[in-house]
Parts: sequence; C-alpha cells; structure tokens
Amino acid sequence: MTATPSELRLTGEDTARSRDRARVHRARGHSRRWLLLWLLAGPGILAMLGENDGPSMIAYAADGAQYGLGFFVPLIPVLFAMAFICQEMCMRVGAVTHRGYGGLVLQRYGRAWGWFGAADLTLTNLVTLVAEFVSIRVGLAYFHLGSGVAVALGLALVVFTLSGGRYWRWERIALGLAAFNGLFLLAAILVRPHAGAVVSSLDFVPFPGGSSSTLLLLLASTVGATVTPWMIFFQQSASADKGMTARDVRHGRYDTAAGAVLAAVFGVGALIAGAALLTHGGPGIQGFAGAGFPEALTHVAGSAAGAVFALGLIEAGAVAILTICASTAYAAGECAGVSRSFNSSPRNAAVFYAANIGIALLAAVVILIPGAPLLSIALNANVLATVLLPVSLVFMVMLANDTALMGARANKRSTNAIAITVIAFVGLCGAAYGIDSFLQATHLTGP
Amino acid sequence: MNHAHHSSGVPEHDRQPPERSEYEQVMHLDRGQLVAETSRPVPRAALSARAAAGLWALRVFAVLVSLMVIYTFIDQLH
Repeated sequence: MTATPSELRLTGEDTARSRDRARVHRARGHSRRWLLLWLLAGPGILAMLGENDGPSMIAYAADGAQYGLGFFVPLIPVLFAMAFICQEMCMRVGAVTHRGYGGLVLQRYGRAWGWFGAADLTLTNLVTLVAEFVSIRVGLAYFHLGSGVAVALGLALVVFTLSGGRYWRWERIALGLAAFNGLFLLAAILVRPHAGAVVSSLDFVPFPGGSSSTLLLLLASTVGATVTPWMIFFQQSASADKGMTARDVRHGRYDTAAGAVLAAVFGVGALIAGAALLTHGGPGIQGFAGAGFPEALTHVAGSAAGAVFALGLIEAGAVAILTICASTAYAAGECAGVSRSFNSSPRNAAVFYAANIGIALLAAVVILIPGAPLLSIALNANVLATVLLPVSLVFMVMLANDTALMGARANKRSTNAIAITVIAFVGLCGAAYGIDSFLQATHLTGP
Repeated sequence: MNHAHHSSGVPEHDRQPPERSEYEQVMHLDRGQLVAETSRPVPRAALSARAAAGLWALRVFAVLVSLMVIYTFIDQLH
C-alpha cells in the first residue's frame, strides 16, 4: 500500500476498486494461483473474444465459403499472435500507468492527436456497432424474430450490465456471455468436416486465386477481424479500471494469451463451418445477404448446425456491443477529462454512461432504417477498422516505449521489431484494398 | 466496521480514528491508482520534428485511404 491517509480525496470509485484489489492481495498472499488467475482474467479475454464479433465471424465464414480452409486456417492463428503483441502492450501500459489509452495520448502528445484518435474510434465503433446489431438480427431471423427484438436485446443488455455500478460485475457478465463464442467450434463439429482436410490445411498453401478486389476485401476484413482500434482503447482502459498494477503484468499476459488462443480456435471454427458451403454455392457471398449463413448451413449440415451458428452470431454481436460501447465510453471520459469507470455512479460519471448507452442507441436506430445495406456495412466495418488501425498502433508503440511512463516495463527491442512489422502488414492490407477497390470503382483499372 | 457498535459503549481507545477508516478503504490500492492521482495530467512529451512529420504523414494517408473505402462502399450501393 502506498496511499497514505493524509491528503486523500477518496471517491466511490477508489473504494470499489480497492475491494476488488483486496481479493487479489489475499489470493496472492495465500499463493492461490488459480484464484489469482481467475481474479485477474478479464480484459484480455474480453478484447479477443469481443473481436470475434458478428462481422468477424461472418468474415471467417465468408473466407471458408469462398476459398475453403487452405489459406485461412493457418492465417487466423498468425493474425491472433499478431493481436497478442498489440494487446499485451495495451495491458502493460494500462497496468503500469493506471490510465486509459485516449487520455494518455491526449495528455502526452497533444489534444489534436487525442481527438483524432477519439474521432477514428467513434467512426469505426459506430459502423461496427451497426454490424453487431445486424449480426444479432441475422441470428434472431433464424428463429423468426425481427430487428425490433435485436435492438431491444442489445440495448437491454447494455443498460443491464451498466446498472450494477461495478467494473467487476460488468466484466463477469461479459465474460459469461463470451464463453458462448465456443458455439462456433460446436458449429464446426456439427458440419462434420473431414479431419484430414483440416489437418492438411495447416500447410500454408499459396495465396488463393479469384478476383483481386474480393480477395483483398476478405483479407483486409480478416485482418480487421483480429485487431481493431476499439481493442486498443478497451484493453488499456479496462486494465486500469480493473485496478491492475505492474505486479499483475504476468497474469495480464496469461489473460491476453488465453483470449488469443480461444479467439483463434473459435474463429477457425467459424471458418470450418463456412467451408461446408464451399461446394454448395458458397462462393456467391452476396447470396448470403438474403438467406444468411445459418439458413445456408441448415441446408448443408442440418438444422442443429444452422441453429448453433445463429446462436453464435447473437452471442458474438451481444458481447461486442458491450465491449465496443465500453471502449467508446472510456475514450469519451478520458478525452473530456471526467470520471470514466464502471466503478463510478451514473451521477459521477455522466459522460461515461451517456456515451456507453448513446452510441448503442445511435447504431440501433440505423438498423431500424428500412432498406439499409446492412451486410455491406458489416463487411466494410472491419475494412475501415483495418485502414485506421496503424495510427492507433503507432501511438500504442510510442506509449509502450515511453520510459518516463513505463520505466523498466517499457518495450524491449524484439517487441518493437515485431510491433513495427505488424503495423506495416496491417497498413499494407488496408491500403491495398482501399486503393484497389477505389481504382475499380472509379473505372481506372479493370475488375 | 460496525458503526452501531461504536455508539454503544465501546471504549474510546478501541475506536478507529476516522482517518484510519478512510485508509482502510483504499489500503489495497497503489497511490497512483487513486482517482485524485489519475486525474492529474501526465507531462507533455516533446516530439521531434521528424516524428511529428511522420505522424502527420501517416494520419493523412489513413484519412485518404478511409475516404477511398467510404467512396467504394457508397459506389457499391448503386
């Protein structure tokens, strides 16, 4: 304990966080390793499984339906290894500085960069949230329920999880829901893939053929399905809000690694389920706009596979709505310089709560607009995130290298080398799709 | 801590001073975790001219490619 009683201006947020930390201290003091892991797990798993969201699972399934397993089965684990590098930095900076990403960029590098980052985040979050509601709608449509139910479900979940006024409660509800991301693995089992085909797909086969723009869209959206700006904002701020400290960095790494492994396994599950459609008209991706993947899977692999995939889409959308709204709320509070914690009451953190609910409401309104191009929004949400990600990642690397903030916990050279490679790869994927598709749209090159 | 107990004849020397009680509320936090501490801004870092130029170049590039993606998205709707 380094806080002293003198000159303390204590808030409810402090006392709530201290109660959570008391359990961590007891578990550490009694060497209860599994309990300590359980108590410190959360932000990493939620960032990774939150990113296994509706558009991501649709992107994985579309990859499988279009190209089969060959190229993407080994690619997905590589992308999540890449995500681990980025998210570990976020966790470490949050735990060491006790501050969120948005606030730190704004204070350390100037208001312009802070607000640019917040603007990028708000734009990509709004588009992605629309896609999450679409995902819930597609899942519910399988059970003959409409968009009104999707909107009500998503908004009720946001309000319900916020109602406790505690970070711990919000995190545990979100983790409980995120466990159902495993439904995509179940869907993969239900489509009865050939084990030999899955194993042989682990050999990195050459880049699949086909139209360059479709392939770049799928590649960019697959990259955008593993790392996005909201994950950076979310994990750093959530690690600070949870009360993690420099002593917890090792457990934070376990948490992030567990999230990456689970997300990769479940993502491959969605890919395998989608690949079942490869020989059944799968390559016509736009054909899924009307019918949806769950219905298509029902025709190919039976109603159980379709129902499980539909439930998975509902879960994926619901968890992502929680984490993406939280990242928006953290950024809004940090940039406005006001209270931003689940441990604060709505009265003390009005901006945080208003941003959390407000952005969900805004996205919900869009999906109620008749004739809105929802599937196209879902696929392009990930691409937009990929395009804007390099800027956020560069600031993340700068913060993680800032010895004035991080001291001995600053990045090592090897981490920087990998992080710079990741930024270059993400930037190239986004730029390749953006420029290629733009040239085709303006008829400057052929299809 | 049972406050009712305090008011029912507990000897004066057994009572926790209010300061101690406040201390207990946050004794599991590092000082840097307190809201009073995290509300204080961190000092501004000095960016070199090259670093600032690189960041602006990246920002302009990201905005341009984003506009291309948005244009393509709108074009595909027609």
